[in-house]
Amino acid sequence: MRSRLADMLYRNANEMPEKMAIWCDGKTATYKEMAELVSRYSNLLIANGVAYGDHIAIPMNNSIESVALFFSAADMGVCLVPLNPTLPLNAIRMAMDSGDMKHLIARKSFLSESSRNGGIDVPGVIICLDGEFEGTIPFSDIAKMSSERPEIKENINGNESLILTMTSGSTGNPKPIDISQNNKYERAMAHIRVYSITKEDRILAATPLYHSLAERLVILPLILGATSILLPRFTPALWLNCVKEQQVTFTIAVSAQLAQILELLELPDAPQIDSFRAIVSSSALLEENVKLALIEKLSCEFHEMYGTSETSTVTTICFQKASHKQKSVGTPFDEAKVRIFRDDDTDANIGEVGEIACKSSLTCKGYYKLDTMMEAATHEGYFRTGDLGYLDGDGYLYFAGRKKEIIITGAVNVYPHDIDVVVVSIPEVEECAAFAYPDDRLGEVVALAVVPKEDADLKLRTLKTYCARHLADFQQPHKIFIVDKLPKNTMGKLQRMNILPYIQEMGLDN
Amino acid sequence: MSVKDFVTEYIQREYTVPEDVDIMTLNYVESGYVDSLGLVQFIATIEDEFGIEFTDDELEDTNIKVVGGLVSTIEKKIAQ
Repeated sequence: MRSRLADMLYRNANEMPEKMAIWCDGKTATYKEMAELVSRYSNLLIANGVAYGDHIAIPMNNSIESVALFFSAADMGVCLVPLNPTLPLNAIRMAMDSGDMKHLIARKSFLSESSRNGGIDVPGVIICLDGEFEGTIPFSDIAKMSSERPEIKENINGNESLILTMTSGSTGNPKPIDISQNNKYERAMAHIRVYSITKEDRILAATPLYHSLAERLVILPLILGATSILLPRFTPALWLNCVKEQQVTFTIAVSAQLAQILELLELPDAPQIDSFRAIVSSSALLEENVKLALIEKLSCEFHEMYGTSETSTVTTICFQKASHKQKSVGTPFDEAKVRIFRDDDTDANIGEVGEIACKSSLTCKGYYKLDTMMEAATHEGYFRTGDLGYLDGDGYLYFAGRKKEIIITGAVNVYPHDIDVVVVSIPEVEECAAFAYPDDRLGEVVALAVVPKEDADLKLRTLKTYCARHLADFQQPHKIFIVDKLPKNTMGKLQRMNILPYIQEMGLDN
Repeated sequence: MSVKDFVTEYIQREYTVPEDVDIMTLNYVESGYVDSLGLVQFIATIEDEFGIEFTDDELEDTNIKVVGGLVSTIEKKIAQ
């Protein structure tokens, strides 16, 4: 038995070889070309010793080659570990250790930076994506490879891990979400059904491919026989131009992107967009005025969804079809059931806020090698999301905030503890706490309150430089406040939610 | 490494700028090579690498978001 995901791509290549499979940054590939690229990529990996069950780390950018790699990995029963290329080296090393990476595929700039800083050890092969680098295999060798789909001796049953999505846990250690081939297939099929996606759709992915949303948005069209439009990187202007030029009909966007896109759409010389059939907004509820303005400008079906990386989409709502439930994130997918738990694990009443928990056939395999962590997050088969919410009498879910201490900046989850542990290692810092600071464009940005050691000469620049060196781009504090103390309860526990009011009260927030 | 090489290598960490683009006139923020989250890190990395500190006025100057403008600002500050 072969990979169902890869089989579907190859079947599409046979049935409609000349149809455009994918566009990215001005480059295109037909289904025939895409299938050949996938085959060549598989043959390159096989020729260099990559085998069934191996894990490959890749600081991943949005490109046609990255998408081909998903299908090669599926076809070979290999697991990919896509990483954020802006992560600092020590975080990448930690991620690689926790994901048992055997091979590495990376750009030259990453390899040269890591070699200047002690290098990265992998037991297997390293492939350099752009040009040549000592001790690595150049990706350009792919041109010498056969475009025939390779034979694989193993049986691919679909339970093989396809992707480990790295999320940082609240302890600072990576928490790899283990997603199987079947997970990816069933998630794609569920979204195809719910949003009535067809082969005629041109589906835009505009978030990084190391996040599960974009992975879904590129795999889905290619197994269905639709067209994938992959934005190489996001700015509102690039998004609008791409939608206009490529006549995009469907996308799932993160709400922070949509708010920025609307700003541009409201300018007098904004392009007219009339190709959309439906847009789904994810990650956070949009303000009602933003939603209404977007619907007016884009004149299409407008959905909002709620979900997590672990469970995939849990609920969805169509603005036009459920206008009486505008503050809701909708009703569950057929695959999912929702319960609201009180702190003592009993079920909350209708209208009572508790922790949102979900049981879904789309849920991931678990956290890689962290079975107890997944068990701890699950009660009676329901995964606790860490989000707060309630259900109404009609079964509609309402989001009411976050239980976990987390900052969401431009749809990226940032665990404040990860920042705290880095900053507190600065010798002049007594204690510190990262917290969410409201931001019009990104929803929230990371802010940092720092208490210097007595008599220490702590400079803002020291803090900024240290963070630039030791934290990823999305973890950088946009605002830093030097304070005399942090708000704590009587037990001495940090009250992160009270930092911003404290700073405002002290007149420091100018 | 020259200032220009440092800046052009950094902005191409994730994506290669196409050969037909004049890199010195490229607005690396508007074209998405460094996003609004990455800018804070980029500026701090430059300050660290070259031992300089940008003023608020310099950071608000849109010219700093163009590769050539950024390179010349850094070079001027190093020479000071």
